[in-house]
Amino acid sequence: MAAALTAALTLPSSSLTAVGAGPGDLEAIVKDERGKPVADAVVSLTSPATATRPRASPALMDQQNKEFVPLVLPVAVGTSVTFPNRDNIRHHVYSFSPAKRFELPLYIGTPAAPVVFDKPGAIVLGCNIHDWMVGYVYVLPTPYFAKTAEDGKARIADVPAGAWESRVWHPRLRTETEKTTTPVTITAGEPAQVGFVVTLKPDRRPIRRPTYEGAQGG
Amino acid sequence: MGVHFRSFRSRLVVVFLGLFALIQAAGYFAVTAFVRASARHTVAEELRLASTLFARQLDVRTQQLVAATRLLSGDFALKTAVATSDHATTASVLENHRQRVDADVLMLATLDGRVVIDTQRPAGQGAPFPAPRLLAEAEAGRDASDVVAIGPRLYRLAVVPVLAPEPIAWLVAGFAIDDRAAADLRRLSGLHVSFLARRDGAFVVYASTLDAADRATLARALPAARAAGVLDLAGGEHLVRVEPVGGDVVVVLQEPLAEALAPYDHMLLILLGVAGAGVVLALLGAVVVARRVSRPVLTLAGGARRVAAGDFSVAVSVPQRDELGELATTFNEMVGGLRERERVRDELERTAKLKRFFSPQLADALSAGDESLLASHRRQITVVFCDLRGFTAFAEAADPEQVMRLLHEYHATVGPLVFANEGTLERFTGDGLMVFFNDPVECPDPAARAVRMAVAMRDAVATLLAEWRRRGHALGFGTGIAMGEATIGRIGFEGRFDYAAIGTVTNLSARLCQEARDGQILVSEPVYAEVESLVEAKPVGALPLRGFSRPVVVFDVLGLRPQPTAPAASAATP
Repeated sequence: MAAALTAALTLPSSSLTAVGAGPGDLEAIVKDERGKPVADAVVSLTSPATATRPRASPALMDQQNKEFVPLVLPVAVGTSVTFPNRDNIRHHVYSFSPAKRFELPLYIGTPAAPVVFDKPGAIVLGCNIHDWMVGYVYVLPTPYFAKTAEDGKARIADVPAGAWESRVWHPRLRTETEKTTTPVTITAGEPAQVGFVVTLKPDRRPIRRPTYEGAQGG
Repeated sequence: MGVHFRSFRSRLVVVFLGLFALIQAAGYFAVTAFVRASARHTVAEELRLASTLFARQLDVRTQQLVAATRLLSGDFALKTAVATSDHATTASVLENHRQRVDADVLMLATLDGRVVIDTQRPAGQGAPFPAPRLLAEAEAGRDASDVVAIGPRLYRLAVVPVLAPEPIAWLVAGFAIDDRAAADLRRLSGLHVSFLARRDGAFVVYASTLDAADRATLARALPAARAAGVLDLAGGEHLVRVEPVGGDVVVVLQEPLAEALAPYDHMLLILLGVAGAGVVLALLGAVVVARRVSRPVLTLAGGARRVAAGDFSVAVSVPQRDELGELATTFNEMVGGLRERERVRDELERTAKLKRFFSPQLADALSAGDESLLASHRRQITVVFCDLRGFTAFAEAADPEQVMRLLHEYHATVGPLVFANEGTLERFTGDGLMVFFNDPVECPDPAARAVRMAVAMRDAVATLLAEWRRRGHALGFGTGIAMGEATIGRIGFEGRFDYAAIGTVTNLSARLCQEARDGQILVSEPVYAEVESLVEAKPVGALPLRGFSRPVVVFDVLGLRPQPTAPAASAATP
């Protein structure tokens, strides 16, 4: 991987010419070491040559049925995220992650001000009153990213053609994301292909035990 | 013999008593063994039960500890303090929380196992966590709790993650297991409780309700005891049960056997009393029975002893109807037989004695009847005295064998005639012979018998005399007969009695015998008067006799007149 990263960093400037040739797509697939598709993995593309300015369209992290939905929310740097509470009880959302430390003390409905994620990095979201509630906001310095579906596949569309570095992140990724860097070349027409084999840590999220309320809510 | 029978009796008693005591002792020991086994079983069962409850209690405590620790770990302020690496605040929060749950220690460890905060040792920052195994357990998502030795003390520790909401640190809560905790458990269970851990191959006592000496003993003896066993401690034998409580730590529950046996002590005392009373009763019974058995034996022995001493009048009395009774009956029969034999022998002996004096018939009569006949008395008797003329000279000249042979022939000739005429032979004096009639048994014709006997003797001796003359011995035979009163009775001393007649009549007859020439039968006048009709006689005249003041009229009996009927003669024939 390190070799791949080095290779990506030393790409010749000829690749820049390809950017102007029109946008292309990247098709990525993420699997674990046993070949099982990995969902909720974020695949992103960055280019050391282009200072890609992330689009900062607002995003939502819902709280439904005392869970964060979605589990993983990838956003570009500078994105404002609102945390609408769709349950009929309050939540107390917090993060002690260095990339964004914040707290939304007990609230109901949609807070007036969204939280702006201005630094790249992984932010672990918790709820002070529901131990099992865990959510992730993954802040990327690039607008080119996609989250894998249940089949482990993600597709990043309209990427300018040229040489890119692809990476993968997952909440339970054992290795650092930096080490997953894989160079890819985007060309117009045929989508580029990249595959990641990742090792995940065991899922140690607090278990949500069934309650009367929970059972009723289905 | 008495000693022997006493020992027989005591042997009987000893055997009885010994058997009974043996049975009692066997019973006592069986019960004791049973009681001990039962007590052991009870104690072992108590210990098993206690250890089950104990384990359950420890489980519950552990769960409570884990739950309490988890509650503490959920505290937002703690999370905030930890997440912001605010060390001083975190330490303060931990101390606060320690007091909340009354834990003995609260620690915070990094995810890689270094102690960040230890409420007991504020300076111990950065040291490796003493029970890394617990962290591994917690990391694996399990309830991590164990008994761990930290320094000189044992702690039950629980480890839970501080979630924000992912684990950011380990929170560790601990309760000390010290002597006080052991004492608490003892109050709960009534058992001695000790906690030991293996250190360098040996057991070390960390907490206990025992005193120092017993702690050392326990630590030494524990490797020998398995899950359950017996240990010899200061208070005597203890039953122990060893339960692992986590890691290399064991809890040992002990109960002294003496405590379990205490309720049985009273029972054993009663049992001992009953056994003692039984032995005493058995002793009394044995003595009574032995006496009952030995008494007839002693009675028989006494009887036998008297028989041995010659007393045949013995009749032992044994009322039993058993073998001993039969033996007594047989014994009495035997003594009866002996008595009869003795009686017969006595009779024969006496008869033989009587026969020395009296005719066999008279002797038989005497021996069959009473001996009062022989008592001293006076009676009219007829006395016959006879002897050989010239015997003294002959005896001097002849050799002793000849003298004795002649006397034997003489006596053999005259003796039977005495008895034939039922005379009483008063004495032999060599050649002399004194016989009297009418005593001890009276007869109607004593004089006649006397004369008839004298005639028969003279005739018989005449034949002998002729024979002796042929051999060159000139001997004659003379007889004197007198009649009169005499004192008659037994004379002599014990062992040698004679039946004797004393009086003038004997003297007279002796004198007459002296006066008689060979073949002469000189009788006094009263005698002649009695037998005049029976005999041929001629008067000799009045003879002056020595010892008699007046001359005595004497007749010489020549022979018997032939008799038409002879009642006396028939009476004289045996």
